Amino acid sequence: MLRAIARLLSALNSQTEPGQISLAFCFAMMAGLTPLFSPHNFLVLLIVLLLRVNLSTFILGLGLFSGIAYLLDPLFHWIGLAVLTAGALEGLWTALYNTTLFRLEKFNNSIVMGSLLFSVVLFVPLYFISNQMIVRYREHVLAWVQKSRIMQAFKATKLYRLYSTYSEFRGTA
Amino acid sequence: MKWIRWQGLIAFVVVVIVVMGVWFFVVDSAIEAVIEKTGTHVVGAKVELEGADLSISPLGLSLTGLQVTNPDEPMSNAVQVDRMALLVEGAKLFRRKVIVKEMTLEGARLNTPRKRSGAISRQPAAAPSVSKRAAGEKFTLPPLGVPNVSEILQREKLRSLELAEALQADLQTEKDQWRKRLAELPDKVKLATYRERIEKLRSAKGGTGVLGAVKEVMGVQKELRKDLDRIKAGQNALQKNLTLFRKRMDEVADAPLADVRRLKEKYAFSPKGLTNVSRLVFGGKIAKWADTALDWYERLRPVLERSKKRKEGHEVVKPVRGKGADVRFKEHEPLPDFLIRIAHVSMEILAGSIRGQIQNITPDQDVLGAPLTYDFSGEDLTRLRSVKLDGALNHVDPSSPKDTANFNIRGYRVTDMSLSDSTELPMVLKKATADLKARAFLSGETLKANLLAGLQSVEIATGSQDEAGGLVKAMASAVSDIKEFGVEANISGTLKAYDLQLSSDLDRVLKEAVRKQVDAQVTRLEKELQSAISEKVSEPMADIKASLGGLSAISSELTARLNLGNELLKGTKQSGRSGLKLPF
Repeated sequence: MLRAIARLLSALNSQTEPGQISLAFCFAMMAGLTPLFSPHNFLVLLIVLLLRVNLSTFILGLGLFSGIAYLLDPLFHWIGLAVLTAGALEGLWTALYNTTLFRLEKFNNSIVMGSLLFSVVLFVPLYFISNQMIVRYREHVLAWVQKSRIMQAFKATKLYRLYSTYSEFRGTA
Repeated sequence: MKWIRWQGLIAFVVVVIVVMGVWFFVVDSAIEAVIEKTGTHVVGAKVELEGADLSISPLGLSLTGLQVTNPDEPMSNAVQVDRMALLVEGAKLFRRKVIVKEMTLEGARLNTPRKRSGAISRQPAAAPSVSKRAAGEKFTLPPLGVPNVSEILQREKLRSLELAEALQADLQTEKDQWRKRLAELPDKVKLATYRERIEKLRSAKGGTGVLGAVKEVMGVQKELRKDLDRIKAGQNALQKNLTLFRKRMDEVADAPLADVRRLKEKYAFSPKGLTNVSRLVFGGKIAKWADTALDWYERLRPVLERSKKRKEGHEVVKPVRGKGADVRFKEHEPLPDFLIRIAHVSMEILAGSIRGQIQNITPDQDVLGAPLTYDFSGEDLTRLRSVKLDGALNHVDPSSPKDTANFNIRGYRVTDMSLSDSTELPMVLKKATADLKARAFLSGETLKANLLAGLQSVEIATGSQDEAGGLVKAMASAVSDIKEFGVEANISGTLKAYDLQLSSDLDRVLKEAVRKQVDAQVTRLEKELQSAISEKVSEPMADIKASLGGLSAISSELTARLNLGNELLKGTKQSGRSGLKLPF
């Protein structure tokens, strides 16, 4: 865990493309909020591994969003049930229901549908918001943080030593 | 910057292989855990499995050492199965349908002992149903001796005595009133004054003259008539009351007989008390069987029908385990989520082996469109000639489920079955051959069941009656002579509260046997009651007669006064010796 955090900090403080970090965060949201062993999460994993996105961010984000998902289950159930029982979409759902791939996906479960829809809708806005936050962090916060007393204290910790070692190894410090 | 990293593809393949490897490694344990957890939840007691083995080709599952604890007796298993083999339709799994083509249960046994308790902490059981209370009833003979009459009369209120006391009190009041009233009415002294006045007028000469005398006589006559009317009215009222009192006295005289009848019915041992012997002997056993069957039916209900509700016209099914809700849409080829098409069962009972099959085990009969059916049979078993059980659990229309069960046993050899543990008349069915036929029908919550049992070659032992009374001896002798008898049980009501009606030849036989004994005891009790009640009522009756006599004397007195007055009135109408001719 400490290593993953160190890697994330390293990525944030390095010249890694903000998009790589943001995209990893967005995919982590999708995989974390929806039931983990859903077939679509294998696709997410394939994309995450195939695209050059930041894996540490993805792993940390996955843990974070999996925790949040438990709190949001009632909301997902409500959204999913409303969408699945919407009269206008009945034809679409019936067609998907009779398709093996979608049955395997278990899209007709209120929580699967609700969480998937929720994460898809939030995917693009979260990507741009994350991008902006990373850029601003690097521009305004990073230098100030480096000089702050808290950071000085932090530099004395094991976590920072790990971070330094990793950064030196990657040559990104 | 390059966005694609091709080595990621290799990593993905590696991850997938690792995940599948881990899954395959733990799947058997996972299946075992799921079955144990779900089974325990459904049954309400521990369900344990020795092992599970998933095979890929052909796709199937083999379970060994299944033990289902009896929730009412945690130290025994309700069912124990040595091996279960399931053949699954693999293609349907991709559509999230678990369709078991064929299931085989080998070495299924009922009521096997457990090494460790299979109890789990659960909510306290509900209050016992009517039938469970019936099961607790024990066979006890009604009191057989002649009851003590003095004790009965101390406990009971006698209507005859109450009537007598009330009448006596009323008579006393009436007598007191009449004594007072008699003093107010003109008596012989007053009537004598009329005579004197009339005599005086007759002997009067001169003075006011004839006209004046006539006027005075007419005045006397008017006063006399008025007094006589008062006496007459009083006498009429008294006569009326006397008639009522005499009627009440007749009622009092009849009341002891009614008291005797009532107390005799209440305290005498009657053959009527033997009409429910069959209920006391067999009721508990039958109610216990029925309760056990219904208890298991309730536990297995979720297997037949799971909760479904409709939302916006769509069927929403709450999964038994898991989160959220599954919404169902119309399928081109409708199939339940879980279905065992056919289960072959081989069951070991004490008498031997019974084989049968269960078809269409699914919680979604409405989707399948076919009911669960079962059929078991066994022949030439150790203590019975044949046994057959068949029926259907039809929940195709969940709003009106209809379940049926037919059970036939032929040639069951019963030995040493306790019928009564009464200390007065213990009964043991030493041996008999029984044929049993039971049918049960459950429509929604309405339950109807009928059981007919015929027992032949019966031998009933009744224990020693050396010190028993004549009645017990007669009953014991009658029971010992029984060579065959039948029992009919009818159950009707609901699952939660049903009524059990039982009838048997035993009732008739016992009634006949004790009739003479009972008749003699009843006659004796009747005589004793009659004598005791008559003695208690005789004193108040004597008082009543005396009081009534007192009132009659008052009536006679009134009659005498009336006669005297009438004579006086008659005398004033006739011409007197004075030669005075009255104009009336």
